[in-house]
Amino acid sequence: MGSIRFDHVDKVFGPNTGGVKALDDINLEIGEKEFVAIVGPSGCGKTTCLRMVAGFEAPSAGVVSVSGKPVTAPGPDRAVVFQQFALFPWKTVRENIELGLRNKNLPAGKRADLVAGALKLMNLESHAAAFPHQLSGGMQQRVAIARAYVLDPDVLLMDEPFGALDAQTRVVMQEELVRLARVNPRTVLFITHAVEEAVYLADRVAIMTRRPGRIKEVLDIRAIRQAENWDKHQRIEDVMDLESFVHLRTQIWKSLREEKGANVT
Amino acid sequence: MLGRRTWIGLATVLALVAIWFLLTTVTGMVSGGRFPSPAEFWASFRQITGRGYAGGDLLQHALHSLKLVVMGFAVAVATGVPLGLWMGWSRKVEAAINPVFLVIRPIPPLAWIPLAILWLGLGDAAKIMVIWFSAFVPSVINSFTGVRTIDRPILEAARMLGTPRWRMVTEVIAPAAAPMIFTGLRLSLQASWTTLVAAELVGALVGVGFVLNMAQQDLYPGMILVGMVTVGMLGWGTTKLLAMAEQHALAWNVAARD
Repeated sequence: MGSIRFDHVDKVFGPNTGGVKALDDINLEIGEKEFVAIVGPSGCGKTTCLRMVAGFEAPSAGVVSVSGKPVTAPGPDRAVVFQQFALFPWKTVRENIELGLRNKNLPAGKRADLVAGALKLMNLESHAAAFPHQLSGGMQQRVAIARAYVLDPDVLLMDEPFGALDAQTRVVMQEELVRLARVNPRTVLFITHAVEEAVYLADRVAIMTRRPGRIKEVLDIRAIRQAENWDKHQRIEDVMDLESFVHLRTQIWKSLREEKGANVT
Repeated sequence: MLGRRTWIGLATVLALVAIWFLLTTVTGMVSGGRFPSPAEFWASFRQITGRGYAGGDLLQHALHSLKLVVMGFAVAVATGVPLGLWMGWSRKVEAAINPVFLVIRPIPPLAWIPLAILWLGLGDAAKIMVIWFSAFVPSVINSFTGVRTIDRPILEAARMLGTPRWRMVTEVIAPAAAPMIFTGLRLSLQASWTTLVAAELVGALVGVGFVLNMAQQDLYPGMILVGMVTVGMLGWGTTKLLAMAEQHALAWNVAARD
């Protein structure tokens, strides 16, 4: 359970009013429990790819399928973490995390156990009764990740989840996500425009062209990560100093820079 | 206990009373036939609270007016807010109802008074109907806008979590739109008082508007002022209650504003 497949996917926005082609013949397969990051210049349609897997948007041509079934609507089997957190401000941290479980009609005792587990996993135990606005951006995104993980989804969709965070919080969250991926591996589709983040987190990195977005190349990071034993390092900065990391990063950078008008960080 | 702002406000009110006293009683620049002096105002107040005026004492008139406003406002809110939420949620409902709205909305609520009296007479029903019409529109429009301005990711997050339809309304749409809904309620309440007084001026047998109408016919400035102040106090009190309800209901939002 949990594979994602893009099969000759096109996306045209506003087809009745001339139309802007956002995505052009996207083909990509993400295996079970694989972590794939998509990087690309602003406006290349990478977020649209994620939104089609989530079921927020439909392809204009081609098929997006999850676990072999075409996507038709949003659902808790594909949990989304949004850039702007998208927490419910009128619900406490606990209530935010619990809503998806209530929607699944789980009994109260079971819900309480699962919520407690998610709170512990994301180090949120002391904030269970807080409202989102009382938390920092990093804490809010922890809540959003807990809300997604507690659903036990087949697929985790992360749309520039750390884009709204300051640099230090960002690093902490990236390390956290690696820890989570080890404890509780999932199929992850991760959208970012930060190259280092993609290389640090992903098994594979897909590079997109500028609009209309196509997949330009897909780099396998996993083989190099294992060969160079990145995982023995605890800290992100130690990994980023490794020659193999720098090499990969530069390679992706160059590929993106070839895209005229590319705007990457 | 009282804050700096309260003291400044209180000082302004006292200054206005002093000027009033100065212009009428002390200098006589404004004659009693045009505007009552503080003493005349007090005498009128004593009269309506004691012997009564226009067929009842002040409490009876005030309570009657208050009852009509509360009823008209309640009916307007109970019908207007759900309709506004529904129009905000469904493009089809909006398309169906909006044309009717566009036609009816430019008619001032007060223009309904003659028809209401024709249909329902001078009693309470006609006034409740007119208040309903006037308070209905702000409730609908602000609830509608409240739904339409919800951040898209909030709705998407709720859908992603598999939120069923009815829970979507009660736990996502309504709370997300609540700040705008309360804006609508405040405007509706204001409209309710405006309309009530106008309706009672035109035709009533009891109520604050009726007191005003009688006092005007009796050329009785003191009593006119008593009526006006009473409406002012009632309006202020009900608005205050609504604000307290809002603060309670939107604790998450009020705190966010600080």
